[in-house]
Amino acid sequence: MLIRLLFFGATADAVGSRKLELEIDENTSAGTLIAQIIQQHPSLATHKLLIAVNEQYADADMILNDGDRVAVFTAVSGG
Amino acid sequence: MDFTELTTEPIDITSVARRAVPPECGATVTLDGYARRFTKDKATGETNETEYLVYEAYEPMALKEMGKLVERAKKEFEISNVGIVHRLGRLEIGETSVVISVAAPHRRAAFAACEWLIKELKRTVPIWKKEVYANGEAWIEGEVTEEPPPGQPA
Repeated sequence: MLIRLLFFGATADAVGSRKLELEIDENTSAGTLIAQIIQQHPSLATHKLLIAVNEQYADADMILNDGDRVAVFTAVSGG
Repeated sequence: MDFTELTTEPIDITSVARRAVPPECGATVTLDGYARRFTKDKATGETNETEYLVYEAYEPMALKEMGKLVERAKKEFEISNVGIVHRLGRLEIGETSVVISVAAPHRRAAFAACEWLIKELKRTVPIWKKEVYANGEAWIEGEVTEEPPPGQPA
């Protein structure tokens, strides 16, 4: 199944992209996906990463569905 | 009326405050958050001099999270209206990055709600700040508090 990955700020710089599409297995959790992305982009491992699925904060054990928008970002710093 | 907005244009603080005012209110508390020149690095203790800032947001999610904060604030505090406007893009030193206006029948609740709103905004709304220095730049990462936002991988 296909999911859409979104990166912002420090994670966009580390990955070198703001948007990626990725084919993943059924029943992949958000945490497993993040571990795969960190393997491909080891500099991400230095950051504390948060995940949002379809614009809602998600836990690492959340199972992803086809077409999900998965955002990966560092602890927020607005204000 | 309540409102939450993101803008790349300079924010007019007075108009944000006025838009938040309904007739039954006696006080509006408005926070003017702006870009600071000197920032102390929490890890090294060194002071960095910032030339300008760049703010970036996950816009649809940021607006949803700001809306949730307004809803929660209105449940928890005796307030009437909330307006939140956050600036994005490049900001020069001293320019306003965020305005939060809280209108209430009495000032005490407005002060408390405004403090709560900025604290939660800085913790949960997906907006990031990049500080640009004379010799480099850095994306600022928020503090991990005792109450981390949901969605933190183990």
